Amino acid sequence: MRKLSTINRRKFLRGCGTAMSLPLLDIMLDSAKGDDDVAPKRAAFFYIPNGVVQDRWQGESDGGEFVLSPTLEPLQDLKEKISVYSNLDRIKVAGTDGHAQASTCWLSSAHPRELSPAGYPLKRTVDQLIADETAKHTPFRSLELSCNPYRDNKESVYFDNISWYGHGHVAKSMRDPDKVFRRLFVVDENKVSSSILDLVLEDARSLQRQLGAQDLRKLDEYLDSVRSVEKQIKRVEDRKGTIEELQLEAPTVPWPEMERHQYIQLMGDLMVLALQTDLTRVASLMVAPERWSTPQKVDGLFEQPILHHSWTHQQGDDRVRAELARLDRYHVEQFAYVIRKMLSVKERHTTLLDNTMFLFGSGLSSGKDHVYTNLPLVMAGSAGGAIKTNRHVKSEEGTPVANLWLAMTHVMGSKAESLGDSTRALNLS
Amino acid sequence: MIVRTFCIFLILVGVTFAQQRDIRLPFPFNGVYEGEYHFAVEKPGRVQGMSHYGKDWSRDAHLLWDGEVGAKLELSFLVRFDSEYDLGIRLTKAPDYGIVQIYLDGAKISGPIDTFSARVELASLKDLGKHKLSKGVHRLQLKLVGASQKAKPYKQEGRFLVGLDYLQLTNLEPKSAGKMPEIELVHVDYTELHKVLKIYCSDCHHADRREGKVDLESLTTAELFLGDLQVASKVIGALQAGEMPPEGAQQPSPDQKSQLVLGLQNYVDQRLASQESLEPVVMRRMNRLEYNNSVVELLDLKGDIYPLPEKVIRSDFPYYQPIAGLMPDRLQLGNRTLGKNVIEKPILTGVFPFAADLPAENGFNNRGEELSISALQLETFVNLAQAVVHAPEFEDYCNLHNSLFVYAGSDDPLVVARKRLSFLLEKAFRSPVPEELLSRYVTFFELHLKRTGDFQRAMKDVVAAVMSSPRFLYIIERAPEEATRQRLSDYELAARLSFFLWNSIPDDDLLKLAREGRLSDSSTLERQVREMLLDPRSQSLSQNFARQWLRLDQLVTAVPDSKRFENYYSRIGCEYWKLGLQSMLEPLLLFESIMIEDRPILDLIHSDYTYRSEELHHWYRAEVPFKNKGERNRFLPSYQQFNRMELNDKREGGVITTAAILTMTSSPLRTNPITRGAWVAGVIFNRPPPPPPDIVPEIEEDDAVIEARGLTLRQVLKQHQTNQSCKSCHARIDPLGFVLENYDAVGRWRDNYRGGLPIDATGELFGEVRFDDIVSFKEALLERPEVFTRAFSEHMLSYALGRELEVSDKLAVDMIVRNVLANKGRISSVVVGIATSYPFRHKQMVEARNHSE
Repeated sequence: MRKLSTINRRKFLRGCGTAMSLPLLDIMLDSAKGDDDVAPKRAAFFYIPNGVVQDRWQGESDGGEFVLSPTLEPLQDLKEKISVYSNLDRIKVAGTDGHAQASTCWLSSAHPRELSPAGYPLKRTVDQLIADETAKHTPFRSLELSCNPYRDNKESVYFDNISWYGHGHVAKSMRDPDKVFRRLFVVDENKVSSSILDLVLEDARSLQRQLGAQDLRKLDEYLDSVRSVEKQIKRVEDRKGTIEELQLEAPTVPWPEMERHQYIQLMGDLMVLALQTDLTRVASLMVAPERWSTPQKVDGLFEQPILHHSWTHQQGDDRVRAELARLDRYHVEQFAYVIRKMLSVKERHTTLLDNTMFLFGSGLSSGKDHVYTNLPLVMAGSAGGAIKTNRHVKSEEGTPVANLWLAMTHVMGSKAESLGDSTRALNLS
Repeated sequence: MIVRTFCIFLILVGVTFAQQRDIRLPFPFNGVYEGEYHFAVEKPGRVQGMSHYGKDWSRDAHLLWDGEVGAKLELSFLVRFDSEYDLGIRLTKAPDYGIVQIYLDGAKISGPIDTFSARVELASLKDLGKHKLSKGVHRLQLKLVGASQKAKPYKQEGRFLVGLDYLQLTNLEPKSAGKMPEIELVHVDYTELHKVLKIYCSDCHHADRREGKVDLESLTTAELFLGDLQVASKVIGALQAGEMPPEGAQQPSPDQKSQLVLGLQNYVDQRLASQESLEPVVMRRMNRLEYNNSVVELLDLKGDIYPLPEKVIRSDFPYYQPIAGLMPDRLQLGNRTLGKNVIEKPILTGVFPFAADLPAENGFNNRGEELSISALQLETFVNLAQAVVHAPEFEDYCNLHNSLFVYAGSDDPLVVARKRLSFLLEKAFRSPVPEELLSRYVTFFELHLKRTGDFQRAMKDVVAAVMSSPRFLYIIERAPEEATRQRLSDYELAARLSFFLWNSIPDDDLLKLAREGRLSDSSTLERQVREMLLDPRSQSLSQNFARQWLRLDQLVTAVPDSKRFENYYSRIGCEYWKLGLQSMLEPLLLFESIMIEDRPILDLIHSDYTYRSEELHHWYRAEVPFKNKGERNRFLPSYQQFNRMELNDKREGGVITTAAILTMTSSPLRTNPITRGAWVAGVIFNRPPPPPPDIVPEIEEDDAVIEARGLTLRQVLKQHQTNQSCKSCHARIDPLGFVLENYDAVGRWRDNYRGGLPIDATGELFGEVRFDDIVSFKEALLERPEVFTRAFSEHMLSYALGRELEVSDKLAVDMIVRNVLANKGRISSVVVGIATSYPFRHKQMVEARNHSE
């Protein structure tokens, strides 16, 4: 396999670097009315599949002094900017695969009574609920990224996505950094014909009276998408000048030729760029899909391709568990990379990280037995002071993770009283 | 499109009749033996294209022969079934054609037929009477007995021509002739059945324990039993497959069991028949293969718009010609995954495929419920449509370019555009085009014409809009106005057919049948389905259905350990290849040969032939596959030569024992019997195991480690099944995997494990048949053709409908299966059975708007 040309990568990063030295937010926020001195709040998610090695994830101390566990050590120098949450659960509903449900339902945590036709407790996910609040300010409603490296289409859509507009309606993620870059930053190339949109919208509406209830729901997906793109076109056009001033350069190496960490970090870079330029305020990054028992290369970490999913079931073996813990730690390192990137982006008197809530987690606590209790969750950033950092928040056993989701929507301005199977909002401050 | 000459030359070999037992003859499954395709012919027989003489000749060609008066044109052809046939023949007439007399197997069956005519034309169909023909090769002779006085001799005095368009055999045996296995109607009073259920099942399935959430004890009346038909069917299925009662529990006697199964089934069938319920199909978006094919069809493009990994087999040569009735013996083929570049070069500049849609679990990637559209995807569709029509290569690539995009002449451009669009919209939307719809697009065109002053440009814009419309992108069936269920309209039926068989929108012929309202006629429908199967576009059943059904994509990322299975890989210069990936073609080629030759689907379980490259053959046979490294380095990545080869051992043949399946269901360092078993259960039996449990025991990833402990993998797995729920499920899956334990992690036969421990491949099927190894396993399946036939038909019906099958589809499946068995399991009878089935021809809507967010 050809190595990624370091020159190319540097060139792209230089592009980002240039951008970052500009007081970006000031340029970008000319359209954002409201409190001039307050930077907008952002929400981002970083998903790792198949759970974590529990004894390495759980620290020795509980409550009291905030000590990082071995797996979280890469966050040591960022300790003051993060908070760890424990004892938050999801309720597993029988009938669908433990892994598929873990990723797909993680961010909605619908009540076990509210099943989609396919049997998942799946509703509009928290990132999309937040986007309902923030979308009016930004060109892009939300950004869904995935570093799924597999080409064998082995698993269903439920293993491969964490963001959903509603049951059966996936907010499809993008895998190709080049496409992400072009969609966000190459305005003209990506311009959707608005006259075509007008026409097909009319066409779609005229179809409505011919359809049955179930098909109407499908058509709604189409109609919503058209409306969403129409808004997007207008807002991107408004920002065109400033986006072009950034003079960013597209990544030049195809992602399948990148090493694993380069791929993840490049996606992280793109996510940070989108947030710092206020092209969107909501983003998610799925590092890899659930299960997918396909061998995977993790360059620099393991010599042979690894089977992440199989390992999680073999972690009773000390040797396997140790390797698995290295992979967990590796994922935390990638998370740390993105956090540092956010920290390096100055916004007024603060940084992007300070204005963001950036959540790291998995829909499984342990892949060994498909456990949904005590999910691994780390929050970076304080969303403009709304979230208290440098602490470990240990909830009562059996607290729904939906309580955290509800609290996160509150941070972004929602007044909703409940979300999924939540009992009340978690106190974040 | 059809490269006819290729097929013809294969068959036009000089053969003596003595040899004919050994040669393979093509068989046309519509009963029309084309002169140019379906006979073994001696020289000077040759093929002549006839399209310049008119459109009458079937497939635009005939077989031409010349001889002196008294000479005979000898033809042999293949009959598949013992039966009585009505024979008819169509000959060509021309100025230098003679008088022929026809003999069948040596007996004269016609008087003199004069084929002289002043101009070249097709004679009418000549009836040759009814004849009983046995299965096998028959001989047709056309004896030149003279010539009309007006006829001109050909080349020399006394020499004349004979032209055969086709011989038609109509099987006179009624279709549903006695061979159909009838459903055994066993009526047993439910109270009797419940007594048996109570004895054998209620230990676990009673109100308090409800094992598997099933309580059978309380289902004391037939009405209660039928209260949940899904559960009822699950119960019957588990009993039938011998999964329940579990191993070790008290078992009913074979008589009791069969009475229980048939008795309960009878109740369920009667209930289903009286309910006549049907599961709705959710409107679905095209996936990217369907989008490509539909755009190619709509705009008559010369090829695909973007490279599709879905098309695994690559060939410059259009070898897939079902009309030929015979798969070529030698093929030069490539595998797209062997092409080094992961990202293939675009075909049209700036046109890229959108993201692949993932398959449903145990299903296909064409289900409405899982094919949604987001803002991102909508953007993609609109931009993609524009990229296609504005691609720099488009003009040369589009056969309709002049007739659709170019404005020439003096007519009002709006009138011209309106006319063109009314055809285009009908085809694109697969529906009649009401004025309101047409004028919407014409107005759009007008606006763009005004804005740009450029007809072509405005036309391209409107075509891009057509391709972005939900009417193009979704497969839509109109909700019935009154009832909730209705027959499909002709247009809707045409679309279901073309997406099923071609993964594309209907072509002009199909559209015409729909427009004329003829498609809903059952015999027209059946004829049309056969015609569509004979079209090269039916290859998409291999490219898309078979690939997904066999889950073959999983091979792409399989990584046998590069040290232990060094031979799976190769190096050319400094490039690194997965040599073993060419095994991916083997099951697909078998499937295609079954399609082309209309063979029994049981050939998928075991076939006495297969298609392999030289390397692949060594793979199975040689101590060191692919010979030595030097050989491997000469390996050509772009294509290999695949040969049909005979197999005489049931350890090979069919799909299950191909290296592709065996490799992709293995781990890097050992076989994985549970994965293999789950594959067999899902793919071959269509009884996929339930989602894996949460607690999965640990098993070493390297069989060397296991063997070092003096244990076999089987023993280790057994040790780990500690609780009852593990046991009952694994009792079902594991034997299906262990029967393949004689094949190593890359699919090569072994008698023992490497350390010398013996392999135990024994097991039990259907709770009644013991098998010792793969050979007796395959034999057991071949002896019970209904089992695989049902599973295969269910898979294909689900694919054809774009939804999961439900209990309510059972009676339709029963009918398909009976029909297929009566037709010797031919694959065409599966396809025809599905296309003419009740669920395929009807639509059902849900009344209420439910599950709203």
